[in-house]
Amino acid sequence: MAKLSLSGVSKAYGATLALRRGDLDIEAGEVHVLLGSNGSGKSTLCKIVAGSVRPDKGEVLIDGRPVTISGPQAARALGIGIFYQELSLSEHRSVAENICLADLPGKSGIFVDRAALEARASRYIALFAGVAGEGFSAEALVGNLRADQRQLVEIMKALSSEAPVIIFDEPTSALDRAQVDRFFEILRQLKTEGRGIIFISHRMDEITAIGDRATVIRDGETIRTLKLSETDPAEMIRLMVGENSDLPSAEHELPAAGPSAGAPLLSVRNLSGKGFRDVSFDVLPGEILGFGGLHGQGQSAVLRALFGASSISGGSLELSGRSLAVANPRSAIRSGLAYVSGDRGRDGVIQGRPIVENAAPIHYLKERLLLARPSALRDKVLPALGALHTKFASLAHPIGSLSGGNQQKIVIARWLIERPEVLLLDDPTKGIDLAAKADLFNLIRQLAAEGMAILLYSSEDAELLGNANRILVFNGGAVTRELTGADRTRYNLYQAAYEAA
Amino acid sequence: MTMVNETGAGKTGAAISEFLKRPLVIALVLIVVLLFAGNALSPGFASGQQILRLLIVAALLGIVAAGQNVVILGGREGIDLSVGGVVSLSAIVGGNVMNGADIGIVPAVLACLAVGGFFGLLNGLGVTLLRIPPLVMTLGMLGVLQGLLIVVRQGIPSGQAAPGLSSFVTQPFLFGLPGIIWLWVLIGVLMALMLTRTVFGHRIYAIGSNEHAAYMAGVPVKLMRVSVFVISGMFAAVAGLCLLGYSGSSFANVGEQYMLPSIIAVVFGGTSLAGGKGGYTGTMAGAVLLVILQSILTTVNIADSGRQMVFGATLLLLMLLYGRGRAMRA
Repeated sequence: MAKLSLSGVSKAYGATLALRRGDLDIEAGEVHVLLGSNGSGKSTLCKIVAGSVRPDKGEVLIDGRPVTISGPQAARALGIGIFYQELSLSEHRSVAENICLADLPGKSGIFVDRAALEARASRYIALFAGVAGEGFSAEALVGNLRADQRQLVEIMKALSSEAPVIIFDEPTSALDRAQVDRFFEILRQLKTEGRGIIFISHRMDEITAIGDRATVIRDGETIRTLKLSETDPAEMIRLMVGENSDLPSAEHELPAAGPSAGAPLLSVRNLSGKGFRDVSFDVLPGEILGFGGLHGQGQSAVLRALFGASSISGGSLELSGRSLAVANPRSAIRSGLAYVSGDRGRDGVIQGRPIVENAAPIHYLKERLLLARPSALRDKVLPALGALHTKFASLAHPIGSLSGGNQQKIVIARWLIERPEVLLLDDPTKGIDLAAKADLFNLIRQLAAEGMAILLYSSEDAELLGNANRILVFNGGAVTRELTGADRTRYNLYQAAYEAA
Repeated sequence: MTMVNETGAGKTGAAISEFLKRPLVIALVLIVVLLFAGNALSPGFASGQQILRLLIVAALLGIVAAGQNVVILGGREGIDLSVGGVVSLSAIVGGNVMNGADIGIVPAVLACLAVGGFFGLLNGLGVTLLRIPPLVMTLGMLGVLQGLLIVVRQGIPSGQAAPGLSSFVTQPFLFGLPGIIWLWVLIGVLMALMLTRTVFGHRIYAIGSNEHAAYMAGVPVKLMRVSVFVISGMFAAVAGLCLLGYSGSSFANVGEQYMLPSIIAVVFGGTSLAGGKGGYTGTMAGAVLLVILQSILTTVNIADSGRQMVFGATLLLLMLLYGRGRAMRA
């Protein structure tokens, strides 16, 4: 009998079906790997098990009994422990307190029993003795720890739940080799105790090293569960990617004719910074260079760093053959760079202000304007909005009166009044409608055809495969593969994304 | 692009009802109502002479509130609690520089602007470079200014307004209105132009509405933030000089009465304390409204505790009305 079993589970957010039909069986004493691409429904499935999302339909069984997981607390009570991928630690508390946070040992019902707390925490800290690194102790404040040490605290926190089923969602992303090896030893020990482990990782070597079985999820559906001893990475990737995965992207949508050979417009050499390291590439004028790979592997970090929005710790940049230093977005804009974020609410839209003011800031900066004359602005803004087929009633209306797609068009239009040389697109179509996406990519191709160099990160593989002349696959903050020509296939994209970093 | 034409029945009705919910309109309506109410309570309250006096007092407050308005529009909990201290200091500096002689007016104006700008600069640098919250920074600055006032004056009133300055504030200058009213109108026009027609104005709204997006669009956010505090300091300094002209000589902590009212006037005028929303025209009406309210409460001789309650209740009432207006528009 399965320890945990989900069958026919579905979840919709508004009109979007995040999970169509999720099936999953976790046996006692196994490490069960969940495999799926960005947006496949893998994390929704995890959230349902963890109790942070309630399924619309379907059945959840624990030890054969149907249960309703009404929230994270209920999940805990039902014997499900979770390692959170997004760090959920209290910065200002000690390692010991963080480990025991969910269930602080009490004294007379009011006070925290410090001795019991230390004793319990030290059990889990001891598990990683020797690999946790300098400064790691029960009393250390989490805020002072390195990224890998924080991740260890997260792991210890999940272990301290002593739950029969534990979900580990990318628990090894920041760990070094020795720490991963020790973690796997612990997992093997948990297996012998008869616990069920759900394991998510994007490193194929780890998956094959620790996994017993794997369930593949694609487009919100459970495709197949297979034994890892009876399969190979190629088959798993093929299952994740689906039909026609070997066809080059040119088959479905031909990217604009490649750029003419020539001197690169932007050269990046050995660039390092927070979230990425040793990234090098050239972009030619007229080229659309895609950034691929799983979420958060450094693609956005590189784009933001190029735009001066986060700091660069090493490496060099050249724009049109001249050395380029970007201190902040302002200097990047002056040098001819443009950046469009998918998170328009945070990075783009000036809420409550008229459309015209939202479209004009780059014009103000580049022309060093002091006065904002409405008629002059209108003449500048209207053609830029027209190029994107933007729908609006009046330039004086607040930007909030528009749909998400049209808001994003306004934000993009601000870069079209004075054209940049290099356009950085950081998942620009996130959360906008299909028509707006089509308008956007038509424009991007046109801009490239006119000689602009474009860096495109997209979390939707189809957008990359359909538009990029070349794709750099990011894994763990570094470029691990470059896909050109007929190599630009979904299969190759996934294989590179799942390779060991 | 597609221009969507607004058509449909009830559009005019909706437009009128939306117009009636605008803070400026609400404030103006309340002003008229209060004037009638004041006149009923104490005949002569709404006489020409009396209204003129109210307007002069409102202009003093309104000039302080102009700077306060700019700081609040800039967002990130922007607020300037030090304005009262700057008003007092400016009155003293101005009084001592001119010392009762018209020839000293121009140097006094320059000195006061420099003093106001300097303390505004300190506020701005504290908020941007040291990342001290504006509330704390300007409250601290107020303390510094109050201490400075004691040191400078040593308890003895000093300095005198030049006759030219006094008549500018109190005597008719053009069409029967004193110069300070015209100055206020001029400030109102300039503020409106700055906020709507200059890049600087648009950037104030941008940093107030979404500082990060403004930064990503190349707005020099820190420079802007320092600027709004400098502007606030300079407006407070101008108000301090005018106050000197109004009262003839500077007395202890003359400006202290402006700290909260300058904020209330801004809020009365429909500017959001969260930043990025509002304007100065409403604030002008807010200043007049506040001054009339104060005057009525003085007229009916209400106890101070009662006065505080009426202020508080009015503020809440207006917030309620404005909030509804916003909800309608959203």
